[in-house]
Amino acid sequence: MPRVLRPRAKGLALLAAAVLAVAPAGAQPRAPHLRPTDTSDEGGIWALSEKAELAARQSVERNRDPALNAYVTGVVAKLAPEYQGDIRVYVMDRPFFNAQMAPNGYGEVWSGLLLRVQSEDELAFVLGHEVGHFAENHSIEAYRTLKARLGATMAVQFAVAAVAMGAAVNAGSAQGANDIMRAAGALNDLLYLGQLAAYFGYSRENEVEADGLGFKRAVAAGYDPAAGASLWRSLIAETGSSSFKRVRDQEARANIFSTHPVSSERVKALDDLAAKTPTKASTADRKAYRAVIRPHLAAWLKDDLRRRDYGQSLALIDRLAAEGEDQGLLTFYRAEAYRQRRGEGDLELARKAYAQAGTYPDAPVATWRTLGDLTLQAGDRPGAKAAYETYLARAPQAQDRWLVEASLKKLSEGSAT
Amino acid sequence: MIRTNVVRLLAPCALLMSLSACVSVTSAPAGPYKIGTATVTLGHEWSDISAIMFARPAKVRLLSMDGPLLNRLYVTDGLAPGEFMVKPTAKERPTPTYRAGMAPTELVEFVTDSVAALDYQRVETDNLRPAKVGSADGLRFDLKAKTKEGLDISGAAQVADVNGKLYVVLFLAPSEHYFAAELPEVETVLGSVKVG
Repeated sequence: MPRVLRPRAKGLALLAAAVLAVAPAGAQPRAPHLRPTDTSDEGGIWALSEKAELAARQSVERNRDPALNAYVTGVVAKLAPEYQGDIRVYVMDRPFFNAQMAPNGYGEVWSGLLLRVQSEDELAFVLGHEVGHFAENHSIEAYRTLKARLGATMAVQFAVAAVAMGAAVNAGSAQGANDIMRAAGALNDLLYLGQLAAYFGYSRENEVEADGLGFKRAVAAGYDPAAGASLWRSLIAETGSSSFKRVRDQEARANIFSTHPVSSERVKALDDLAAKTPTKASTADRKAYRAVIRPHLAAWLKDDLRRRDYGQSLALIDRLAAEGEDQGLLTFYRAEAYRQRRGEGDLELARKAYAQAGTYPDAPVATWRTLGDLTLQAGDRPGAKAAYETYLARAPQAQDRWLVEASLKKLSEGSAT
Repeated sequence: MIRTNVVRLLAPCALLMSLSACVSVTSAPAGPYKIGTATVTLGHEWSDISAIMFARPAKVRLLSMDGPLLNRLYVTDGLAPGEFMVKPTAKERPTPTYRAGMAPTELVEFVTDSVAALDYQRVETDNLRPAKVGSADGLRFDLKAKTKEGLDISGAAQVADVNGKLYVVLFLAPSEHYFAAELPEVETVLGSVKVG
């Protein structure tokens, strides 16, 4: 079934891209605290955005840490004081670099972005970029662009509905139809993402303009002028480290809906803006930002590894480790990346990294259990015994205690391999 | 022009519809039920919905009583190194892969990451304990997860590496009513796995 659907998905993606490839119609910058009439085109977009906001609020992927959400909301308030009360930003635990802001003022910041920005200055730049799209009504421009091509969009919707319903009808049972619909969900997702892209996949001109607006808002709020270019450089470098050629061959994107890459021209434009503005030292700012995300660092790194793009994960971990903090945790997740990748020589790299992680006070307790497993595989029985014993001493209530005790018993009997 | 585009788009859809007419749910009657080299004993009749499952590799069978949203019993034939429980949809989106020489905790990780790859959220394990699959040592453990919409899911899983191949039985159902309702039957199935 997926083999049949996949080429269709590619075709529809191309069609969706073609739908969006027209010049935008103009829209006026938005005045604060105004709500469009329900009968206007903007009113219709607001209604859709409110539905999306409700889904985001109720999603199990929403990060409900009040301190983290208050922190992000506080940064937005510094960047856009005139829109106080108009903008609501939710943190979502999704391991991809993404921030977006809908026309009704609802926004999302994904954990993959919070994990990759290294200071409040970088976060302020990217949120300022999104506020720029919001303030300049870029999504309304994009919507009017889409409307100009509505006939083609209807064709996409028609095809997707036909695929999904046809397959479901032929499933043979109502229960089974659920999973056929799930299969078709990939196509519906494509349409959904295509529609979102209509609102958030801005024109190249809009993206460059939002970079400039984000820069101005961030600098006006006292943030480091060099932060925007620095963030885009990091993103470009990480994309180039991907384990997958297709990802490496793409240029970095500022969010998953972006149709225009973070090009070297955009970085240079930000560098030129920053050159005219005094920079400020940011080491202390990086430490302060790390303190904000530290409670979520382990969970977000684990989520990132589930993408299984170990090249990108290792590049990210190296960047995070360069700050000199959280060395036990970061070295543990570097070891996890090697162990899970399991390429030639990776298990030895993993064993060494687990051993190194164990020298730091913040190493997770699982460090010693996995170190024991890999050390045993490497034939070092005394080393394995020491690691297992350290694990049991540090985690006396571990649910796998019996398993580790069994390994130790075999080691003492000389039968473990 | 638009009509031509629609016809072009719908032609493959019509082909897909005609192909999917061959697909159906079948009965899995009470008694021994063979999945490749593995056999489980079912205490009552289940529906085998494998044919309509998305992203299902050939060695994975899926049984259900009330539909896949209400109870799922995955039973695998022996997975060889390099094989998976959830088929990747693209090279850039790989799913967990069984590898030779995995430690016991890595086998548990393989199952939990596969559950996460099925779009369940916040997957956690508990109550890891020993199990036997024939004469081979295996592992039993419980799972907790959530659907994206926030529905609480409970699970029971068993893994065993038998002669270098991984045999998995995994049951997932909403925590409210459905998990407990089938658990006695699932315990019977878990205890009945035979290889060869």
